[in-house]
Amino acid sequence: MAILTYQERIGLLRAKKLEHTREKQEIVGFMDHDDWGLILPPQEEREIVKTISSSGMPITDVLLKSFKFIPNHPSGGFFGPKSCGENFRRLLEVHPVYIDPISSLAGAYMVNFMSYRNPHWNPDFDYSYLHREQKLYQLVTGIGAAQHFCQDMEIGLRLGWKGILDKIRYYRKMNNPESSEFYDGLESVVLGIQDWIYRTANTAKSMAQDEEDPELKKNLLEIAKMNERLVNEPPRTFREACQWILWYLITARMYNGSGSLGRLDVILYPFYKRDRDAGILTDEEAIFHIVCLLLRDTAYIQLGGYDREGRDVTNPLSYLILEAAHRLRIPTNIGVCVGDGLDRGLLYRGVEILLDDKMGIPKFLGADSVVNGFARNGYPLEIARERAYAGCHWYGIPGREYTIMDCVKINFATIFDVALREMMQESGCNPSTEELWNRFTKHLKIAIDTIAKGLDFHLEYMHRVFPELVLDLCSHGPIEKGLDASHGGVEFYNMCVDGAGLATVADSFGAIEERVEKEGRITWQELMYYLDNNWAGPNGERIRLIMRNTPRYGSGSSISDEYAVRISKTFTKMVKEKPTPNGYNMIPGLFSWANTIPMGRNLGATPNGRYAGDPISHGANPDPGFRNDGAATAMAIAIASVQPGYGNTAPMQIELDPLIEDEKEAVENIANLIKVHFDLGGTMVNINIIDKDKILEAHKDPSKYPDLIVRVTGFSAYFSSLSPEFRQLVVDRIISEG
Amino acid sequence: MSSGIIFDIQRFSLHDGPGIRTTVFFKGCPLRCLWCHNPESISPKIELAFYRHKCIGCNSCVLVCPTGALQNDNLKGKKYDEKFCRFCFKCVDACPARAIVLQGKIYDLEEVLDEVIKDIPFYKQSGGVTLSGGEPTFQFDFCLDLLKSCKENGISTALDTSGFVSWDKLKDLLPFVDIFLYDIKHMNSEEHKKLTGVPNEIILENLYRLDRAEKWIEIRVPIIPGYNDSRENIVAVANFIAKLKSVRRVKLLPYHKLGLSKPWLFNNRRGILELEPPKKEDIEKIKDLMGRYIDREKIY
Repeated sequence: MAILTYQERIGLLRAKKLEHTREKQEIVGFMDHDDWGLILPPQEEREIVKTISSSGMPITDVLLKSFKFIPNHPSGGFFGPKSCGENFRRLLEVHPVYIDPISSLAGAYMVNFMSYRNPHWNPDFDYSYLHREQKLYQLVTGIGAAQHFCQDMEIGLRLGWKGILDKIRYYRKMNNPESSEFYDGLESVVLGIQDWIYRTANTAKSMAQDEEDPELKKNLLEIAKMNERLVNEPPRTFREACQWILWYLITARMYNGSGSLGRLDVILYPFYKRDRDAGILTDEEAIFHIVCLLLRDTAYIQLGGYDREGRDVTNPLSYLILEAAHRLRIPTNIGVCVGDGLDRGLLYRGVEILLDDKMGIPKFLGADSVVNGFARNGYPLEIARERAYAGCHWYGIPGREYTIMDCVKINFATIFDVALREMMQESGCNPSTEELWNRFTKHLKIAIDTIAKGLDFHLEYMHRVFPELVLDLCSHGPIEKGLDASHGGVEFYNMCVDGAGLATVADSFGAIEERVEKEGRITWQELMYYLDNNWAGPNGERIRLIMRNTPRYGSGSSISDEYAVRISKTFTKMVKEKPTPNGYNMIPGLFSWANTIPMGRNLGATPNGRYAGDPISHGANPDPGFRNDGAATAMAIAIASVQPGYGNTAPMQIELDPLIEDEKEAVENIANLIKVHFDLGGTMVNINIIDKDKILEAHKDPSKYPDLIVRVTGFSAYFSSLSPEFRQLVVDRIISEG
Repeated sequence: MSSGIIFDIQRFSLHDGPGIRTTVFFKGCPLRCLWCHNPESISPKIELAFYRHKCIGCNSCVLVCPTGALQNDNLKGKKYDEKFCRFCFKCVDACPARAIVLQGKIYDLEEVLDEVIKDIPFYKQSGGVTLSGGEPTFQFDFCLDLLKSCKENGISTALDTSGFVSWDKLKDLLPFVDIFLYDIKHMNSEEHKKLTGVPNEIILENLYRLDRAEKWIEIRVPIIPGYNDSRENIVAVANFIAKLKSVRRVKLLPYHKLGLSKPWLFNNRRGILELEPPKKEDIEKIKDLMGRYIDREKIY
């Protein structure tokens, strides 16, 4: 076989990725989540199970036949650091080795350890005292939520696995006996990883022996040698650093779904510079190694941004990582930092790639608003600048901050529904929007208080249920103190509280004020009748449209716009008013992730003309069709106006027509849109550039477009992997009519 | 305060001049281009239009019509007889589905300004307001007032014009226009008249004068297959442009069918020509041909 160019190798790797994806689609079915980079185990090892996804939907998952966990609890589950660590180690020890001779890096993960956990929560730790409110408001409480914070990868790159093990053993001596089980758990994880790497090195060696192609043989021998070393030693070269990061990522992913990576350009830069200076690495090679890393895990990566002192950290590697994603063209999650003191070139290159590839990659991060907002929690700017993009819509201070970002949601629409029904059912109550507002805020307050109590409960008990045994390894404090990150191990606790369904509620308030109160076109009683009957009856659709066609949030200067700002401000004030009862800081954001569907499913019709069971509005976004022209600038201004402003985000999700490319200034125009949104206070921008006809055709027959990639919410995914319900959600955003 | 009839204000408009713009569409046009993609802009009056696909058949519009000008129609959904209409537009208010809508609305200057200033943060990087239509100069006073007000608010202005207006009027607008988007539809006046209803002498003369005034000009050439895309005409257009000094760019506007798919206007006006849009490669060939006479970089 002739020597392949790097681009040819990338082509082969992408083709294999598509093959894996097709196989997953066949076996697992729809995947309404991040692609994760998971590869199915070999056929004879597959045990197919029905389970419940993190978004509460029934999914199919694949387990390894050769692994059975050992329970340590009468419920049949396994809990606590020792048991979790030991079970995970046993899984790692039987986990198949995966090596693609084309790739420069070895390893892939095949199974979610989380899917073995049943039950997820240890029933000994009872929080039934919170159930009433949690159920009433259908809160996503965060109790039992795993990962969703960011490790400091530099710890691992400095120490290597042996170094981490030595560190565990060193501190075990100091903190024993009280933390003995925790150290047992950590140690088990490291030993399991080392075993996996060791087996991989051996497999690479034997594959090399059988390989006839001299190039592939050489690559396999390099993989063998590199991994033999990485069992214990820290990485020295750029390639070794990529391989080390990959082991860490896929282990963390397998353990509890973690996908945080943070500032890859900064983390890898010393290795890149050293190898470049020594003449042992070309940019083409660097791109290829990053491609091989991106291929196996869809980790969340920040490019550019500020260092502690406020200097721009953008470096040549920032561009190479973008280039790697551009050449690979599979779902990846890369965020480009945009800010006053930051390299504008990276923004422009990001937009060029967004336009070229039309895969919703990269996304854009409003560095100034995020940093300045976070500082408002009482942190110095130096610390605020360290926060790195590491998940769908979220940031974390690497290795020092615990947050369970994206895991706590308050559906404003449910709160609104409770308030409306309470008002209408109370005899003697004279309904009005002001009365409704008062009741809405009353219930919102109770919901936030319930969330706060739940967060305290989580922080009290999570470490005894399912501790963060992988992220702990690369955090500052857990090993040193003998405490899990979810239980005081790290330095900062800033618990996420996201609001969802903003537009649904703002538009509902607006429609009632306009149509019921001002115009008197329908009465409160009629409205309730139609809501209860889901707009049925001969007049139902007419009434629904009267309500629906009230000027909506996003149209600019409408009553609904005012309500959106009012809701966000009130929510922010309530979240920031005080910490949790145990004193943990809470930070408000606006983001619904993929929860728009389940959150809407259990909700009746709403006065904005939404049918019962339909999804609620997405994050901070206006409802699709909010203006005739769907103007992106109108959306950018509206979303900027509802930012909570404490460093957690309220992203803008925007869909643009490919016709935008026809203009000479297409790149400048999109860059301008993004930058101005951030100047106005925006925090994050996700953009899809998709042709309406193409998305409709792909919705009808997804198999026609197996490689069509869309940014669903914070994550990007193959369109063909999404369920029809989710595809519809994306389609609605694109083809909406005002 | 002056007022005008505007049929749309479109924000984040990227096809009407450089940068991010807000385009204000004036109603009324002296031309009758066969391919008009904004047929709703032709009449200077406020009109009714009907989006059949939005109609839910609730009959609210018919019931509220005081004169019976609006009736049900099995074929078209609704029919409308303008001569009985009192223009009370109660039907528009009554329609819950926004299926019956007004094409055109009287705007005070303040109202238009309120809308266009919203995107000032975006114009600051690049962009501004574009007056389009219809033909904005057809409502000359309002056009002038709006341009002046935009300048007073520090907003860059563009005028998208057919050029079919007296030089005296155009001259008065000059101090308040930064960018001219200027159409050349055919170089032969007789052909021009066949295609648009008006001859081209005044249009070309005005363009010469604008050029001498050293305005930033973008020439726009609609490409209508079989009507103005002959080699002879393309070369003539390119030759003409080559003599101008202030032309910054030349934009080809390939014929499209949008004018045919616009909402059904009750007077049934719409684009007349139904053609196959030109292929991408044909457009590229035209660009290359023009590029022999003018800087190819300017053409897009």
